[in-house]
Amino acid sequence: MTNPIDTLFNERNATRLMTHVVAGDPDLESSLDLAERMARSGADLIEIQIPFSDPLADGPTIMASNQKALDNGTRPEDCFKMIRRLRERVSVPLLVMTYANIPYRRGGKRFAGECAAAGASGVIIPDLPWDEPLPGLRDALRNRGIHFIHLVSPGMSDDRLKTVLGLASGFLYLTLRVGTTGAASGIEPRGLEFLRKVKSLTRLPVAAGFGVSAPDQVKRLKGRVEAVIIGSHLINLRRGQGVEAVESFLHLCKSSGNGRPRPE
Amino acid sequence: MNRRKHSRYFGPYGGRFVPEMLIPALSKLEEAFFHFRDDPGFKNELDRLLRTYAGRPTPLYFAENLTHESGWCRIYLKMEGLTHTGAHKINNVLGQALLAKKMGKTRLIAETGAGQHGLATAAAAARFGLECKVFMGEVDMDRQYPNVFFMRRMGAEVIPVREGTRTLKDAVNAALKYWIEHLEETHYLLGSALGPFPYPLMVRHFQSVIGREVKRQMRKLERRPPDVLVACVGGGSNSLGLFHPFLRQKSVRCVGVEAGGRGMKPGEHAVRFSPDGRPGILQGYKSTFLQDEYGQVLPTHSISAGLDYAGISPELAHLRERGRVEFVSVDDRQALEGLSLLCRTEGILPALESAHAVAYGARLARTFSRDQAMVINISGRGDKDLFITARALDGENWLEFLSRELSRDQSY
Repeated sequence: MTNPIDTLFNERNATRLMTHVVAGDPDLESSLDLAERMARSGADLIEIQIPFSDPLADGPTIMASNQKALDNGTRPEDCFKMIRRLRERVSVPLLVMTYANIPYRRGGKRFAGECAAAGASGVIIPDLPWDEPLPGLRDALRNRGIHFIHLVSPGMSDDRLKTVLGLASGFLYLTLRVGTTGAASGIEPRGLEFLRKVKSLTRLPVAAGFGVSAPDQVKRLKGRVEAVIIGSHLINLRRGQGVEAVESFLHLCKSSGNGRPRPE
Repeated sequence: MNRRKHSRYFGPYGGRFVPEMLIPALSKLEEAFFHFRDDPGFKNELDRLLRTYAGRPTPLYFAENLTHESGWCRIYLKMEGLTHTGAHKINNVLGQALLAKKMGKTRLIAETGAGQHGLATAAAAARFGLECKVFMGEVDMDRQYPNVFFMRRMGAEVIPVREGTRTLKDAVNAALKYWIEHLEETHYLLGSALGPFPYPLMVRHFQSVIGREVKRQMRKLERRPPDVLVACVGGGSNSLGLFHPFLRQKSVRCVGVEAGGRGMKPGEHAVRFSPDGRPGILQGYKSTFLQDEYGQVLPTHSISAGLDYAGISPELAHLRERGRVEFVSVDDRQALEGLSLLCRTEGILPALESAHAVAYGARLARTFSRDQAMVINISGRGDKDLFITARALDGENWLEFLSRELSRDQSY
C-alpha cells in the first residue's frame, strides 16, 4: 500500500501546508476538533505531538502546550486514540511527533505498532539524529510502511547532509533557521540558501518551517518547497483568538500558497 | 572529520541525542577538546590558572577528630571547598573557558543549581573578558541567593527559569535552548559530567585533577592508596573527578551518595538508583532518569540544590552497572547532621551537597579497620547555604535577625 505522504507529494506543482497540534492542549477533545478544522481549512499534513516533559527543540509556545497537556494527565496511549479518531474523520496524512524518550520507554517496536494502529503515515523525533540508536524503532516503522522523517538544518556538514539524504524517505523536514520552534519570525537568507543547496542535491519533497507566521511568508516559499510548516504561530492564534482565527489564517495561506483545489 | 576519536558511549549510556542543528557545534567542540587536551601550551596555561587562580592543589586533610569520633578507619578530607569560588566547579570551568577562548567564543552560558557552577563561570568570564549568562531555576535562585548576588557582582546576567520544576533540570533545558539560538558566538559551559557528547567526557577530564591530586597526596601521607572514596552525586562531576583516576585500582572502593530528600515517594528525593529511576533519553544523553512509566521526567527534591536533579552522568550509570561504583543515599535530615558533625569536630563548614558525603562516610567508617583509610570529597564550602541551614538549624535566631535587618535604617 502506498504511503499517503507519497501520494500527496506525487503531484508536485502545489505548495502544501503542514500544521502542528499538541495532543491534550487544552484537552484531547479540543485538539481533535482543532486538527479536524485545520484539515478542513487547508492543512494538507498534520503533525500531532505527544507531549513530553522536556521538549528540547521547542520554544516557549509549544513548551507551554506540552506542559498544559501533561498537567491534564495526557498519556501517550490517549494521544494514539485521538489520532485514530482523527484518522476516521479526515483524509490528510497524519504524523506523530514526539521526543526520543517516549518511544524509548515504550520500546521502538511497540511504538511503531501504535503509530500504525492509529493510522499515522510518518514519525518525527527531533532529538533522534540518524547516528543514534533507538532499538527496534526504525526497522519496525519501515516494515509498517511509515516514514521516519529526517530533519535537516543550516550549518550541517556536507557529509552528514549527504548521509541523511541517503536515508530519508517521505519528505525532508527542513528548518529555515537554527533555533527552537516559534522563537523568531521571518525567513533568513541563510535558510533560503540552505534550501537551495538541499534542493540541488535531492529530489525528495521538502517541507520547510521555523519562523513562518504570515501568509506572505508562505507565498515567498511557494514554488521553492513542497510544503510549508506552520507550528507555533497557529498555537498562539488558537490560544489568543480561538479556533476560528486558525481557520481563517489557513484559508489565507491556502489562497496565497495556491494549493490544490478542495473538493468541498 | 570522519574518524571518530572516541566512542560517544559509556557502555550502553551516553550518546548525542540532540536535534541535527546542534551537531555542528558539538562536533566543533569535540574537535577542539581533543586537539587542546594534550597540547602542551594549553596544559601549561590551565595548570598555571589552577595553581594561581583557583588555588590548587587543594589540601588532603587528615580529619583526626572525625576519625576518633567515628571510631575506626582514618578519614581524610579532600578540601575542594578551599578553591576560589568555593567548590570543585572551578576546575572544569577554567578548562572549558580556556577552550572557549581558543575557539574564539565571546560569550559563556551556564546552568546552575546550587549556584557554584554559575559562580565559577561568572568568575572565569570576568577573568577572561567574556560575556556571561547563567540560567538558574527560580526555586534555586531563592534558596541560593548569596550566589545569585555574587554572580551579578562579577558581571553575569542571572536568568530565572520559570518552566517545569524551576530547578536544575529546567536550567539545563533553558541553557541548551539559548545555545541553539546563539551557537556562533556562545560556548555552553556545562557544569556536570552529563549532556550530549563530548560533555560527559570533557567535564570528567577537567575534574579528574581532584583524584590525581589525592593519589599523589595519599602516597605521601599514607604510602598506600585509600581503601574507600566517598563523594556526593548530583550530576556526578565531583564524584567522577575523585573516582576516575582510581578506577583501575580494584582495591579502592568508590561510593556515591545520592540525595534522599524527604522520603522515597516520587518527587520527594533525587535517588536515581531507586525504583523510579529508569533508563531514558533526556537533555542529549542516555542514562538513568527519575521518570514515570510513560517516560515523563519526575520532579525531584533535595535540601541541596546541587543534588536536586533527575538524571545522572552516563559514565556513572555504566560504572554502577559494572559494579565498580556503589550508590547509597542520605536524606535531608542526615545531611544536616553531617554538616553539624563536621563543623563541631573539625571546624569545617561543608556545602549541603558535600554534607551528604560526610554523613555517609562517618557511618561507613565503622565498617573499616583502624589501619584503613577513607577519602571524603568536601566538594564545596557551606557559606552559600546560609539561608537554608540557618533556618533549619537555628530558625528562631535567624528569623529574628532577618526581621531586625528589614527594619534597620539604611546604612552600612
